[in-house]
Amino acid sequence: MASDAPTATEGEATADSRAPTGGRFAWLDRSLATVIVGSLVVVALSALVQIRYGSYAMTYGEALRALFDPDVLFDATAWAYFLLGGLFDPSALLDPSQWGSIIVGTRLPELRPGTLIVWNIRLPRVLVALFVGMNLAVSGAIFQAVTRNELASPFILGVSSGAGLMILLTLVVFSGIAVFLPIIAAAGGAAAFLLVYAIAWKNGTSPVRLILAGVIVSTVFQSLQTGLFFFAQDIGTVQSAIQWTTGSLTGTDWEQVRMVLPWTVIAMGLALVSSRQLNVLLLGEGTASSLGMNVERVRFALSGVAVLAAAASIAVAGIVGFVGLIVPHMVRNLVGSDYRKLVIGCVFVGPALLVSADVGARLGMQVLAGSAGQIPVGIVTGLLGGPYFLYLMRRQEQMGEI
Amino acid sequence: MSEQHHRPPEPNGETDDGTDTEHAGVPFAGTDLRIGYGGDKGPVVDGESITAPAGQVTALVGPNGSGKSTLLKGLADQLSPESGTVVVDGEDVQSMATKALARRLGLLTQENTSPESLTVETLIERGRYPHRGFFDGLTDEDLAAIDEAIDLAGVDHLRDRQLSSLSGGQKQLVWIAMVLAQDTDVLLLDEPTTFLDLHHQLEVMEIIERLRDDSDMTVLVVLHDLQQAARHADYMIALSDGTIQARGPPGDVVTEDLLASVFEIEARVTPGQQGPEITPLRPLHED
Repeated sequence: MASDAPTATEGEATADSRAPTGGRFAWLDRSLATVIVGSLVVVALSALVQIRYGSYAMTYGEALRALFDPDVLFDATAWAYFLLGGLFDPSALLDPSQWGSIIVGTRLPELRPGTLIVWNIRLPRVLVALFVGMNLAVSGAIFQAVTRNELASPFILGVSSGAGLMILLTLVVFSGIAVFLPIIAAAGGAAAFLLVYAIAWKNGTSPVRLILAGVIVSTVFQSLQTGLFFFAQDIGTVQSAIQWTTGSLTGTDWEQVRMVLPWTVIAMGLALVSSRQLNVLLLGEGTASSLGMNVERVRFALSGVAVLAAAASIAVAGIVGFVGLIVPHMVRNLVGSDYRKLVIGCVFVGPALLVSADVGARLGMQVLAGSAGQIPVGIVTGLLGGPYFLYLMRRQEQMGEI
Repeated sequence: MSEQHHRPPEPNGETDDGTDTEHAGVPFAGTDLRIGYGGDKGPVVDGESITAPAGQVTALVGPNGSGKSTLLKGLADQLSPESGTVVVDGEDVQSMATKALARRLGLLTQENTSPESLTVETLIERGRYPHRGFFDGLTDEDLAAIDEAIDLAGVDHLRDRQLSSLSGGQKQLVWIAMVLAQDTDVLLLDEPTTFLDLHHQLEVMEIIERLRDDSDMTVLVVLHDLQQAARHADYMIALSDGTIQARGPPGDVVTEDLLASVFEIEARVTPGQQGPEITPLRPLHED
């Protein structure tokens, strides 16, 4: 590059704006750095509120001390308990018949009550919110590129309706297998996505065909899901179904962290390395194809990554709406539509939104009504997301296209 | 036709040996092409052969719906021909991997979308897609190609602008820069001047001529404006109803008879300094 080192007279602005093609960290410009730092601050503050407040009273100092309690931080057994659910027994690896007992159950070491409350009850919920937010935001960003539609969400291709139907079926009809509900819900979402793709396929797909097929499948599944509510035997089943279908983090534990973490790592890794494909796909199928991309294959693979992320979040939190729709918007407004930056931005802003919304879901009723009840976090994200969307709509003239 | 400034066309059959005494560049040809969209309408282009002489500018002209864009898509392997072969520099296009083809042959259609909050430079960078592996960052070669493309298309002053802030003409130049960054031997352009103001039309045609003169690129361009084609192309192919009606240097193709039979207009054609000059008089009606 001829002018790699801008002369002093070109000024700082020129040096900044020329950065995109130079350097290894060209993607990290000021706007993205601001987004990342801002999100981290929001997550940290929300997490602090979450671990301080609750029925076991603590001060901020006590909460921080519990969080950084060396008895946990430097205890391998505690970490094994949290992340693996027990101790890892390497000797069982050699004998296939022992593979069922590779993880040996264990107990947490003796801890101070504050530490126990923070680490065993309050922190996992924050972590689950963090991963769910991350998954939904990135999933939405991918779907918006795949369908080339800013109004796309992780649930546009039938994922939520498939998951919702399976949740209702499991709770109402097949209550015997309710322990597998997380996996069934995720699988239902993935199956609905495949069905949508099959319906949309006719010598290939197109964004419009995919969206229409998504609407068709969603409509039918939604009707079935609503119909199933009439067969619910008791109010408890209905409440449980509503929690799942609106998205809730109540009662999440380390088990949910263990469930969502590996899939999150895989989905985020794939999304980050796919950002170049997403960028090319955004230029239109014709252009992408003439640039040598196998559009159908890439589109299906990218949708698969997005469905994986959405399904992982459904498995632990149910169907949390609006996060996947709103976050990519917010990030696009701040860093532009280059997916190298957009995906990274979503990885940080998604958790910021969901962790802070969960503060409202967990503690909001206490502040507003003085009751200890919790509301599903999906209700809070909807209440936050709707007005924000309205604001965006009023501010932007050509909304709808990326 | 004595004032003809255009270089003589290649003799037919230069695809056989691929070498070319006068022009460097890569020959590009399609043989016996049947191209259509399936369905019961039958193929749009039925059994045509087309040759774009190496290192020259070939203009594909024809009335609306004559199959120009379809033919171009078929040649670029964006639409698989029902039969026939397309060969770029001796290699069969259909047997090439998609990325390998995209390194030899560039196509700019009218169907691109410009993400608005993208800078010009970032868009042009996308043209390097076929040259990069899945995990590769931008190499020095990529950066050099991007700079060269920006230079060739004359859009250096727009480099840091967002696409949403550009006029239609500027956008077109930037898109051309993007295909140029692809660094191909053959370039296919589908109506690159349609909808542009005169200034930008001339800019586009100037870029095309520069590509021929400086980069020995083989250019096949669909043009809506006959006069433009007659003036800037070395070689012309006139298409109507999916059939090639005439081919040759503009002086041979652009005749009053052809304008009547293919374009259904009555026009006067006079030899001019830069190819034949067309004065359209009135539309002809079948009766």
